[in-house]
Amino acid sequence: MDALFAIAGRDFVISVSDTSNARSIVRMKKNYDKTYKLSSHTLMSACGESGDIANFAEYIQGNVRLYSVRNSQDLSPSETANFIRNELASSLRSRNPYNVNMLVAGVDRNTGESSLYRIDYLAAMSKVPFAAHGYCAHFVYSVMDHEYKEDITLEQGFAIVKNCLKVLKERFIVDFPGFTIKVISSSGIREYSTDDI
Amino acid sequence: MEYNGSAIVAMVGKNCVAIAADKRLGQQALTVDMDFKKVFPMTDRAYIGLSGLATDVKTVHDTLRMRVNLYKHREERVIEPRTMAHMVSHMLYERRFGPYYIEPIIAGLDKDQKPFICGTDLIGCPNFPSDFVVTGTASDNLFGMCEALWEPDLEADDLFETISQALLNAVDRDAVSGWGAVVHVITPEGVITREIKNRMD
Amino acid sequence: MDRYSFSLTTFAPNGKLLQIEHALAAVGNGATSVGIKAANGVVVATEKKTGSSLIDVSSLEHMAMVCDSIGMVYSGMGPDFRVLVNSARKMAQQYIRIYMEDPPVRILVKELASVMQEFTQSGGVRPFGVSLLLAGVDERGPSLYQVDPSGSYFPWKATAIGKNMVNSKTFLEKRFNGDMELEDAVHTAILTLKEGFEGQMTEQSIDVGIISVIPSAQSGSATPKFQRLTQTEIKDYLSNIM
Repeated sequence: MDALFAIAGRDFVISVSDTSNARSIVRMKKNYDKTYKLSSHTLMSACGESGDIANFAEYIQGNVRLYSVRNSQDLSPSETANFIRNELASSLRSRNPYNVNMLVAGVDRNTGESSLYRIDYLAAMSKVPFAAHGYCAHFVYSVMDHEYKEDITLEQGFAIVKNCLKVLKERFIVDFPGFTIKVISSSGIREYSTDDI
Repeated sequence: MEYNGSAIVAMVGKNCVAIAADKRLGQQALTVDMDFKKVFPMTDRAYIGLSGLATDVKTVHDTLRMRVNLYKHREERVIEPRTMAHMVSHMLYERRFGPYYIEPIIAGLDKDQKPFICGTDLIGCPNFPSDFVVTGTASDNLFGMCEALWEPDLEADDLFETISQALLNAVDRDAVSGWGAVVHVITPEGVITREIKNRMD
Repeated sequence: MDRYSFSLTTFAPNGKLLQIEHALAAVGNGATSVGIKAANGVVVATEKKTGSSLIDVSSLEHMAMVCDSIGMVYSGMGPDFRVLVNSARKMAQQYIRIYMEDPPVRILVKELASVMQEFTQSGGVRPFGVSLLLAGVDERGPSLYQVDPSGSYFPWKATAIGKNMVNSKTFLEKRFNGDMELEDAVHTAILTLKEGFEGQMTEQSIDVGIISVIPSAQSGSATPKFQRLTQTEIKDYLSNIM
């Protein structure tokens, strides 16, 4: 029931996730941040089995950080995404695989280019201009398909996000308590409130 | 095998081979990516196409790339398509009781510039046809198209046309493959790669 | 014996591993083996030494086929040789299991040499008391390699190992030329063994193996095949020499 989507421009990525932490029919928390900062310029958002997410995200966060400490250099977004895929792929064939879907958004600090990777719980990874996970995908994909153009500006990106949220409010029976909106650009990760955009 | 959707075909021509694949990645009926790679160059003269579960497409490609590179360094020579086919077959059979859900196709020219194609099932049973080989969710359709269009000794240009038409018309009648295609024609002079568009629905 | 002779993994102060020197001495005591690379194949030959006339020489095998395209012969300790033959055959079959083709000679030599090297650095073992000659044909053509107890290996055009190595090599340096056909090479190999051969050389007292490029009719490509010469074949060669 989570809402998780992201849109990439040339030098930024907008990541959107809902803030509801639910178990079965009960909402446990309504201001839950589903994003995980992996480095100054890489952000991962995740949905799926919440216990798995907590464990897997912490493991990834720890190992990406360990790499930075050991090598005095951050992993690039593509390196990070491939590392995550690899870990998830090995877990897939273990006795109890992680059930986690992820979006990995980042900006390469050397080239300044943005990238967005979509990784599902089977560890199928694709580099895409926009992506979504969960039930919300069925709603927001059509909006993004319709409105996305190459080289959109941040404002145009926000406009698409607004329309996505509008569609979710109007057509999706789940009522979300709020959304975390974060923008990854060359200046780092910045959070926006739904009213700001 | 049907979760992500795919269609791949390889054909033998006169002193050339072609391999073509669609570009869709889906999760059942939901299309997630329209530029997903399924065909990979392993050497200058040998390509592999991997259909089936997307996660295993990547895992198998990564593992195979590692093995082909190790072979290159160990043996100080480039692997032949036939040798690579046996390598793939062996690699898949290693996972006999927990297989990778993919069906690969190998196409290439050997050291005498003779065309080579090969397909295997998910546990590595190889077959070496002399005309064409197909795999993926649209394989039934591809069989029909290839059976109708393929003829012996096609030149590179004609082979490109034949394989493209076979693939495009096959995926048009398959809901979970399509969204454009990529075609590689491998000739002794080099590889011609073309991206082709078709019905985007 | 000084204190550096026992533990294999201890260097002597002069930088030598004495057990390897001793292993080479064992090779130097062993029967002479020669190998010659010809234009269309390779020949290896060795003496069959017997301590007693009661031994049935016809069943003695001093050389072994590793796979269709590779054969090997040794100088030194027979039992050690058989261990290496076993592992070489296993390596070859493992290679064929993966790639459905015979291993290139170079690859097999490298793997076998790494086994022999391992026995110079592991605890509780001794080095192999043999030097090997591996002869084979692959896509690069015929090749002849020598592998020593230390694990080092050398590609040769022609060479000899064992008791009479020095004289045989001098002889080969004079007789060898690169255009030699396999027939000539077999003659030269037998002549080389004859130099310094103790007693009368007969078809019973030497072993000869050839690996030749046989063009196959159907594919046009060459299928190499390692064969030990039969006693009658050896007899023919010997009678030509006399």
